[in-house]
Amino acid sequence: MKNKDSLEDSLSNEAKLDRRDFFRKTAVLSATALAGTSIFAADDPAITEPTEWGTKWGDPVTKNLYGVPSAYEHNVTRRYTKLLASGNYRASIAVSPIQDLSGIITPNGLFFSRCHGGVAHIDPNEHRLMITGLVEKPIVLTMKQLKRYPSVTRTHFIECPANGGQEWRGPQYNSLQFAKGFMSCAEWTGVYVKTILEDLGIKPEARWMLAEGGDSSKMGRTLPMEKVLDDAMIVWAQNGEALRPEQGYPIRLLVPGWEGNLCVKWLRRLDFAAEPWYCKEETSKYTVLKPTGKAIQHFYANEVNSTVTSPSPEIDWSDLEDGAVVEIEGLAWSGMGTITGVDLSFDGGKNYIEAKLKGLVLPKCWTRWSYMHTYKKGDELFLTSRAMDDAGYVQPTVDQETLAVGVEAVYHRNAVETWKVEKDGKITHVEVRSQLDRKPNKELEIEGKA
Amino acid sequence: MFKLNKKVLISISAAAALSLGFSACVGDNAAPGNYTNAAVPAIDGGVSYPLKDGKTGPYYVNTQVEGKKIFNGRVPTKAEYDAWNTDVMPDGTGLPDGEGSVEDGDAIYEAKCLSCHGDFGSGGGGYPSLAKGNAYTLQKTLTNQRLKPDMDGPVRVFGSYWPKASTLWWYIKDAMPHPQTGTLTDDETYALVAFILNINEMKIDGEEVDDEYVLDREKFLKIKMPNENGFVPNIDGPEGPENVRAYFANGENFGGQKVKASERCMTNCQEPTAKVVYIKNGGISDFHPPIAEAKDLPKEEGNTAFDAKKAYAENCAMCHDTGVGPAPDDKAAWRERTAKGVDKVYANGINGINAMPPKGGASLSDAEFKSVVDYLINQSK
Repeated sequence: MKNKDSLEDSLSNEAKLDRRDFFRKTAVLSATALAGTSIFAADDPAITEPTEWGTKWGDPVTKNLYGVPSAYEHNVTRRYTKLLASGNYRASIAVSPIQDLSGIITPNGLFFSRCHGGVAHIDPNEHRLMITGLVEKPIVLTMKQLKRYPSVTRTHFIECPANGGQEWRGPQYNSLQFAKGFMSCAEWTGVYVKTILEDLGIKPEARWMLAEGGDSSKMGRTLPMEKVLDDAMIVWAQNGEALRPEQGYPIRLLVPGWEGNLCVKWLRRLDFAAEPWYCKEETSKYTVLKPTGKAIQHFYANEVNSTVTSPSPEIDWSDLEDGAVVEIEGLAWSGMGTITGVDLSFDGGKNYIEAKLKGLVLPKCWTRWSYMHTYKKGDELFLTSRAMDDAGYVQPTVDQETLAVGVEAVYHRNAVETWKVEKDGKITHVEVRSQLDRKPNKELEIEGKA
Repeated sequence: MFKLNKKVLISISAAAALSLGFSACVGDNAAPGNYTNAAVPAIDGGVSYPLKDGKTGPYYVNTQVEGKKIFNGRVPTKAEYDAWNTDVMPDGTGLPDGEGSVEDGDAIYEAKCLSCHGDFGSGGGGYPSLAKGNAYTLQKTLTNQRLKPDMDGPVRVFGSYWPKASTLWWYIKDAMPHPQTGTLTDDETYALVAFILNINEMKIDGEEVDDEYVLDREKFLKIKMPNENGFVPNIDGPEGPENVRAYFANGENFGGQKVKASERCMTNCQEPTAKVVYIKNGGISDFHPPIAEAKDLPKEEGNTAFDAKKAYAENCAMCHDTGVGPAPDDKAAWRERTAKGVDKVYANGINGINAMPPKGGASLSDAEFKSVVDYLINQSK
């Protein structure tokens, strides 16, 4: 180890060596010498050269009275693909860049956007909520009147149950944004439906509620009374501000943990009846066809699920050096309850170790998890995460799920997912098939899409 | 006063179950859906978080809200109620009188639906198919599983899959045609439903819905969908919600793995034959904008003016590149259209013509729309 004097010598001798390099050099010298690594890196002009922003005026506060992200973040956007459009982009989805997100809150401009007749732009002064059917007293509310009900604020994810639904027959997307970005998570403010129903009185024979939107698609869905009287909300705010038009401005239904499609946007009507409605989106779609030919209907909850968010195919480990200590991070979520733990596998689900939960762990909400890993350059790894929830469920393997519901389900896919870390640190989306205690089923040796 | 009373189907058992549910909601420090520690699981198979010590799960609750009568808003008028109460239920509640023939339906379909749903409801360009042939035959494909790339999948169109015909009537009346919803009359809706039954080769009460068929309310209510019993759990009747609860209480029904945390597999969880499945043939990577993670400034577009080519691709190509409308390189078609002057072409496009809605349904100003027309015409030269 060099002493202080010799370090000062080298500083005076190396005119180009700046302060940052001094510390870098010290650190390198303190560690075991790394063969072939130059300790005398070139100066970093980001430090040695004056910057424009460090020497000149910035914008006055009068600019951008509603703030916008740094121009350097222009690649962080929702994205779309033609495959996910029902003919045109007004009945389609733009997915959330979860590879770029931090924490458990999705910024409003990046929240995934799914609509069936385009994004409606509703004048809140001309919007009403009507509540009718098997209630003692039907009502119609202006938005101002609605917001005078006592509010509650809750943090919940909304997930399209088709999240991952293109990959029942093998992986398709080498992208976290498209493989898992049909979801986002936000802090919502609104009123419990049950609080309004206390005013109106519900007739005992009411078993179902219809929620209907006021946009051109007139999206409707049927909900059972139990959920209506538990935690269903009518929300007007998202992350502290009014809902964005893409999220149903001025109001949407929020059905915590359940299919995103039930969270009807541009909400204008709640109706109560003894029998279910059989809306278009709960018959032709959002049903899970099993190999028996029977389809599961009213499949409400998005089941326990997780994914590795770092690394991802988008932001990989190709720049990591051998021996780097790196955080493997991910998300876990369950529409059935609260995440109780996440396991991580480096061999595609053969062996698991427990990862650590991070930050707030809330019901029906994204939960961050983490594991510290020492990266060995050239290693091939198969990173698979597996979450558990307080309803007692653990994420199924791909085999377990397909053996139960086949490959034509489209919706509610929550089997574990695997990123392969290639020798060069790049990430490839793969699946690892076959599971102990399950007989290998020749018929279910599924090849990827042709 | 309201038609809603028709929806009432009194059931003693359901009444009992729900009054329990609701009184729990308004009762003292209790909330419905509290089955965490009870024998009865929540209706979705999960858990809920009852109000306890002023909190629901991790959230504090202002319990002063309970029992307060707030009474915002007012009772809707009959006209207001009727204006929005357009739903149609399987038992015919909400279904108005009217009639329409397959023949009329065919004509309306050609004018208002074909541009997206294709000839005889064949679909195309991502738009849903409405028919694929005989509904009764195709219903039998629902056990198909595409385990290999060359296998046929299940056919999930109206005739073969949907459990209730009421869904179709309601959806067409309220939400079609897609660019101009709510513009069809009741009779037009009956006619379109008749046409869709016809192309699905369906029967009503033993009678084929042939080209001469005229559908009315009475006949409509006799439609039995081939896949009526194809859905689980059974949600109808007083036991509906309890059937749902029982179904989702059993993970085996939907692929759920209920395992005690202490008993989950941690080592050697796979067979030696485990294999890695990779993305085949490049997978899907048609992403817009393309995936990019650079922290840089957006490229200067140079010209930020209206991009007619882009607007064409986003708004017009879906029909004009698929043969529904004349293609940009269809010289003869455009020569014919521009013969009467380009102003006439502008006007037809702005106001809509034949199957084309005004401006093709695009949100463009007149000036922008005209520059798209110019682009189209220039392409044909």
